[in-house]
This record gives sequence, C-alpha cells and structure tokens, in this order.
Amino acid sequence: MKVEGEYVFNGPREEVWELVRDPEVLATALPGTQSLNQVSENEYQGKMHVRVGPVAGVFSGRVVVSDEVQPESYTLTVEGRGSPGFAKGTGQVQLTDQGDGTTLMKYEGEVQIGGKVASVGQRLLDTASKSMIRQGLEALNKALQARVAQSEGQEEVEYNLPSEAKFAAAVAKDMAGEMLSSSRMIWMAVAVIIVIVIVAVIWMSRGGG
Amino acid sequence: MAKKYVGQRMTRTEDPRLLTGQALFVDDVDLPDMLHAAFLRSDYAHARLRSIDVSAARSRPGVVAVYTAEDMGDAWRPGPPLVSPPPTVEDIVFHSRTQVPLVKDKVRLAGEPLAVVIAESRYIAEDALEDILVDLEPLGAVVDLEKALEPDAPLVHDDLDSNLAAHLIQEKGDYAVAREKADLVIRRRILIDRGTAAAMENRGIVAHWDEKNQQLTLWDTTQAPIPIRNGLAGMFGLSTHQVRVIAPFVGGGFGPKIMMFYPEEVVLTWATLKLGRPIKWIEDRRENFFATNQERGQVHDAELALTRDGRILGLRDDFIHDTGAYDPYGLTVPLNTQCHALGPYEIPNYYGELKVVFTNRPIVSPLRGAGRSQGVFVIERLLDLAAKELGIDPVEIRKRNLLSPDVFPYDNKIIDQAFVPLVYDSGNYRPVLEKAAAMIDYDRFLNEEQPRLRTEGRHVGIGIVSFIETTGIGPYEGARVTVETSGRINVATGVGTQGQGHFTSFAQIAADQLGVSPRDVHLVTGDTSQFHWGTGTFASRGAVVAGNAIHAAATTVRDKVLKLASKVLETPEEELELDDGQVRVADIPQRSISLGELAVRANPLRGAVEPGTEPGLEATAYFGPKYGATASGAHAMIIEVDPETMMVEIKRYVLVEDCGTVINPLIVEGQLHGGVALGIGNSYYEQLMYDENGQLLNASFADYLVPTASEVPRVEIAHLETPSPLNPLGSKGVGEGGCIPVPALFAQALEDALADYDIEILEAPMSPNKLFELLQGKEKEQ
Repeated sequence: MKVEGEYVFNGPREEVWELVRDPEVLATALPGTQSLNQVSENEYQGKMHVRVGPVAGVFSGRVVVSDEVQPESYTLTVEGRGSPGFAKGTGQVQLTDQGDGTTLMKYEGEVQIGGKVASVGQRLLDTASKSMIRQGLEALNKALQARVAQSEGQEEVEYNLPSEAKFAAAVAKDMAGEMLSSSRMIWMAVAVIIVIVIVAVIWMSRGGG
Repeated sequence: MAKKYVGQRMTRTEDPRLLTGQALFVDDVDLPDMLHAAFLRSDYAHARLRSIDVSAARSRPGVVAVYTAEDMGDAWRPGPPLVSPPPTVEDIVFHSRTQVPLVKDKVRLAGEPLAVVIAESRYIAEDALEDILVDLEPLGAVVDLEKALEPDAPLVHDDLDSNLAAHLIQEKGDYAVAREKADLVIRRRILIDRGTAAAMENRGIVAHWDEKNQQLTLWDTTQAPIPIRNGLAGMFGLSTHQVRVIAPFVGGGFGPKIMMFYPEEVVLTWATLKLGRPIKWIEDRRENFFATNQERGQVHDAELALTRDGRILGLRDDFIHDTGAYDPYGLTVPLNTQCHALGPYEIPNYYGELKVVFTNRPIVSPLRGAGRSQGVFVIERLLDLAAKELGIDPVEIRKRNLLSPDVFPYDNKIIDQAFVPLVYDSGNYRPVLEKAAAMIDYDRFLNEEQPRLRTEGRHVGIGIVSFIETTGIGPYEGARVTVETSGRINVATGVGTQGQGHFTSFAQIAADQLGVSPRDVHLVTGDTSQFHWGTGTFASRGAVVAGNAIHAAATTVRDKVLKLASKVLETPEEELELDDGQVRVADIPQRSISLGELAVRANPLRGAVEPGTEPGLEATAYFGPKYGATASGAHAMIIEVDPETMMVEIKRYVLVEDCGTVINPLIVEGQLHGGVALGIGNSYYEQLMYDENGQLLNASFADYLVPTASEVPRVEIAHLETPSPLNPLGSKGVGEGGCIPVPALFAQALEDALADYDIEILEAPMSPNKLFELLQGKEKEQ
C-alpha cells in the first residue's frame, strides 16, 4: 500500500522537528498507542491498538529513524505485528519552512500489510490509514500550537487529544464520506453511515474499547 | 426388469431431516469431556520459522495442551500423496511435495498452521493463540505463475532447482503439419484465476480415542471416509478395525473436502491419541479462505488452426498450472484441462505442453469442474474468435466440428486424469446443441429481438456453448444390500454424501430390483463401520460407480429372494414377481410371501440347512468401470449489460444435458442449478485476489462475492439420454456439468452484448471492474 500526502503545521520547522521526534507527544497524538519508548537514539518501540473495520487488536513493533537531516528530512522504517496481522514499511518525511511561520510536511512511503487486517479489512484499509494519519497530524498540530503558545509566554492553548473512540468515529465518518463521493447509490451509502454511526455509538458507550 | 422408480422425479427422502434441522453434521457431535482446538496460522505466505515459544499459552487457565511440529516427534511426517503422477507418459517430470501437519522449518502459504492449542473451550483456545510468540523471517513470495519460473524467483521448496512441480507434453497427430495447412490460426493468451468452493459448511473434525475400547472414532467433513480411515490407521499403527471414520451429513463438498490429509485431520488424531479425550475443531469462515484447498489458476498460450470453412485442423495449448504450495493431488486438475480442451469436437491434431508450478498460495486440488472449465474456456473462446474472423455463426462453427454419433467409442489418444487413454464411451452431441438453440429461440433472437432492442440502445447478447464432461471414473465402489426382517431394505455404501440426494437416487435403484418403495430403502453412507471398501465421492462418479454397485448387489439379493421364495411357494422362479414388498406367484396373486418373512426364513435359528448356504438375504457387490463415462451438454443464455455500471442481468438461461440414464430428473436438475450458480460466480464475481506477497485481500463474504438469488436466474433444463455402454444402468455423472461451460458462455454473451465495443474476453472470472477497463481501453483506441 502506498502512503503519501502533505500537511501544513502552524509553527516553525524546528518546533515541528522537536515534536515529531518526541515519543511522548507522538504516543498521545495517535490514539490507541499504549506505549512508545525510545530505546536508542534512533529507535522506538511500542504497542498500539488498531481497528480497521471488523479487525481489531494490538500491534507491537518498532520504528527506526534514519537518514536524518535535521530539521529537514528523515526516513522512517516501521515494523509491527500482532494478532490483527503485520505491517512493514519505509517512508520519507520532509519538512519545508514556508517562510510564513508554517511548516509543510510531505510524506511518502510504501507499506506491506498482511494477515487479518489485509484479508478482511482490505477495502477499508486505505481510507482508515489516511484518516488515522490525518487525525494524528491534526493532533500533533494542536500540540504544536500549545507548545508555541507556551514558549511565547502566552496563555496556554487548550489541548485535548481525541479519545480512541472519538478517533474511531472519525475514521468511520471518513469512510462513509468516501463511499458517498464514489458511489452513485446514495441510499446505500446512507444506510452504511447509519450502521457505522450505530456501531460507533455502541462502541463508545462500551467505554472506548 | 422394469424400471419403476429409476427415472422418476421423486422428492428427496432426506430433505425432511435436513430442512427441520434433524440431520447430524460434525458440529452437532458433542461428547462428554470434549476439548476444543484452535490453530495458530501464519500471516506470511513465505517465511522461515526461526523460533516459536508456546510457554505462555500453555500456562493460560483452561488450556490443556499446546503443540508444535517439534512436539509431534516421529509422528510429524509430510502427508502421503493422494494420487500418483501418470506412469504412462514419457519424459514426465513430477516433483511430489506434500503438506505437513504443522510447520517445522518454513511457511509456504499464508494460513499454514504453526501450532495447535487444545483447551476446555474454543474461546480459551483462541485467546491462547495470542499468547504464542512466533519469530518468522519473511521471504519473498511466489505468487505470479509466470514469474514463478524465472531464474531469480524465490524457491517454494528449497531442495528443488526451480518452482517447476511437473512438466509433460501430450500429443496427438502432428500439430505443426496441421498448422502449416491452416487457413486461419487464432492464438491468444488466456488467463483463468482462482476461486474457492465456499461450501455452506466449513470443514470440521471431532477425533476421539477411547482408551478402554482401544477405538478411534473420527467424525470428519471428508468426501473420502474410507481412505481417511485406512490412512490414519497406517499412520498411527492401528488396525483398520480400530478406526471408525464417520462423514455424516456434510454441507457441501465440491471437491476440496476430498483432500487427504488436511493437517487438522492428522493433528487432531495425534492429539486425541495422546490426551485420551475427544477434541473438536470447526473451521471458521476466515480460516476456510486460507486452510481449505482452492482451484482454477492457469495461464494459457493457446492456438487453434482451422480451414476457411471453420473446420478445426489442430489445437495447441501450452499452459502453466498453479498447484499452490504443495501438489498432493498430482496432475488430476491440469490433465482434465488438457482433455476438456478437446471437448466434443473432432480435433485431429493436438499439442499440449503443461508446466505445473509451486506458488506460495493454498494447495490446489479439484473444485467442482476440476480443470474442466479451464479447458472448455480455452477451446470455446478460440472457436468464438475464429467464428468471428471467418464470418461463421457461433452455433454453425460448433456444428461443423462436433463428433458424429457413429465414432464412439472415440479414442482421443491422450491420457486422462485416471492415467488411462481418453476414450469417450458414447455421445450424440448435435441434438444437444440444436435443442439448446431451439429452446432459447436462437435464430429469432438474433434476427428479430436483438436488432429491435439494439435500436432502443440496449446491450443484449446471446451465448451458446457445447462441452463434454468426463465422469464416473474408477477404480471402484461397493455396496451391501440387505433385506431386513421388517421387510425394509438396508443399503450400505462407502462413498459419503454432501447433499447430492444419494439417499433418494440410490434407494430408487435398489427399489427397482427388490420390488419395494424407495421410501422403504434405508441408506447408510459415509460410515466405515457400515461399509469399509471404497474410495470416495469425487469426479461426478457417485451415481455411476456406487449406483451400479448398488444395482449389482440388489440384483444378487433379488436372485436370493426368488430362489428362496421359489422353495417356499413351490413355484418356479420364472413364475414369481416382486412387487409391493411381496413375492407373488404371477398368476395367483394370493399365493405370496413378504420380503420380511423371507428374511426370517433365510436366517433360521434351529434345524439344518443345505451345506454352502449363506444366511440372510444379503449381498455385497462392487463395480469398477473400464474407463469413465463421458457426459455432454450445451448451455445458452441471453444477457443484458448496463455499460455504465457494468452490471449484467441474465435474461434467460437454458441448458440441455445428456448424462445417460437419468435416475432422478429432480436431483439432476438440482445438481445443475447449483453448478450454474458456481459457474456464474466463476464467470463474473468470484475471484480470490492475492497481492504480490501472497496475501489474500478478500477473505470474507463481504469482499469475495458468491452469487446470490438475484444473480442466479431461473434455469430451463432439458434432458437427452445417450446411455453409457460401460455400466448396466447406463448412467453418466452430472455433478460438475452445471458449472463447467459457464465462464465460456458468459464471455461469448458479453462480447455479443457489447458488440459495438468490439472487445475480446480472454480472462475468467471477469468482473464489472475488468469489463469497465476493457471498454475504457477500447474507447481510447477509437
């Protein structure tokens, strides 16, 4: 599976760099992350609860950062496996100072996915991964703004990270949105959204999985 | 003997039990103290097993045992090959590599079992799977059939030089010479991809070693209970009399359940022998997509040489066949492909080079159709393209090439799946094709209806194809027929039943010989303690081989009945008749004796009998044909395609079959309906999608589309009968015929419906997506 995209952070590049290399921030920004520890200068290990459609479970894995050109670019190598399957991939991340106090992040990579998550969740995989990345980056951006505000001595910006349930609900919403735009059978998409919302509500009421 | 019941549309005697939930399936078996098994399966398609740590799983409360390959010790052995390679072809290459019970060194397909957990409940067993730590080193996967043979391809089996599992060439006449003489040569690359059987009931096993009785009982969803019994006895050093295999009602076999041995059959047997407690394993649907055999993947490079007037001079069909990670089923499937590419046509020259490749995908073994539909797809597609090129009507080009009825038995001069020469026993193909054309109103559709609908802007098309089906192969089956003292008849046979209606059609055969109602015939099948010689249910052979064994046994019992009745009624045998459960003197109906009374007299408790007398009214008989019986058929359909959504609606579906003597038309039609449904799936919906790493991407019924009631039309059926000369009943098989020609038919109808786009369908299954891409490609060209 190819993963690529870009995102604009409302903050200077150095701050963004600090942020994306801080395991504690990363762990909170990606809901479902149960732990993320830096085991060496460039290696992190952690566990993450993942849900794609009907497949859910804990992935444990490691992330290695290499080819680091501070604060411009780095390569991420990710390897994870668990009961939902496995994922293995490499991606390049590039940060560009846009000169207006914002930073453009470009990322692209190739991920190999296997096991249950690939065989049963296949058609949800693309949207789910895009949605997770987008939400993760949005959370990071909020964290960034909180940091910037703090360092500038301003009043602290409220920084509430999404719960895992809210996160999952947003993934579901994205999926439904995708179906709506690509399908001519609106009524069917509407039915699917209703089902997804019901499932999300049930799931949230169970305490967020 | 008059046929009173054979040929009747009898409703199935087994249906009340099935429809009211009273029939025993493996999952209904619930024994005291029973344990439950769950298998840890590899997520990778190709990987080296570095280490496996089951200690945490073993200590989970409720877990009784966790086993890996190492734990099995000497009991760990690759499975024996199910069928051997053909001995009659020269220069054949065949590398036998069979499946293993649990992975020891290397994973060769996603879903291959690494360990088994046996626990007090399936829930606990499944949870414990997550406690197992496995270290697998992923390897490059072999998925694409052609890339599999490239020199730098990863090796599925490290001890071989390449992924070539088998290589053979079959020849008839001289194709090269025929090609020289041809006015037209049509050459195409044709792709056929994999599907799964999607039986309603997944596989399941209950294994029980009773230590005190020294008796092993296995309830198994197998299509071959007797070979499973024999194999397990041999594997675990037991007498065959200590092993009882029961294949109760099975919710669909379709071929993959003939496999032996699936890893689970060996592992559960080994484990119950070790633990002394019954163990159950029921495959879940997702497991089924990985752990149950599949079929169909082939890449053909085929060419047909013809004269200007559409007569076939020769066929060349070189193809690569995907056997999956192992090849326990030998060459059955690709040999069927070779044979069925010759079809019902006179093809004087043939050259076929077959390469079988190992890939990192599930094992390939026969799946309803078993290689036949690929062969039919190849020849029918080439004929359609030739017809178009030559400006000959598709029905006409077929008629010009059909074998005439006076050539039978017809020797096609290549070997078939049973390694004997491919000889068609009998047939009359032209009336079958003509009947199908008449039923669908072929000429009127082409001349009136289609032009009218086309002017309305509708995309309607017609298809019509011919095919043969080799059926009813040996080696043999047997049956024991007994008249019980109640007057009821007991028939025991070994084949096993998966919904074919055996309880009814076999009863009809016995009833005709013994003058009883089929409802008074009790059939026992699939229980090795009841009848223990035989091979199994496969290759559309149940009605032919077991049916004729029952016929033979019932005939012998009839002789015994008449002999005894003659003595009792003091009347010569010729003057006696059997009817209504009675033996009567033909002219004096009041002088009679019931079958039950005769059965009592045939088993006296005191007194003397003539030396050499056998007790009871019972006989056992076997039937083995010289070679298989060849059935034939023609299918036709009218479809409409929506060129915006690419959805296809089947407006009419007509089929004519000739399976020799029809024992029960209702059952034959049921078989054909089911076959057509599978064929429609294989044509347009059912395709297993693998990525380049061997990951199956659609392992659920949400993504793998089995046709539903809305995709399967009403099927109009007609029967023609050309009895087989190879068996007394004259029957031929029909279990697979429904599905075999459908992808070829579908392709022809699609091309016709979209004639204005001028597309060529060279792939099965097609799909709305693929059709869309084809049309897009055409639009770009224009």
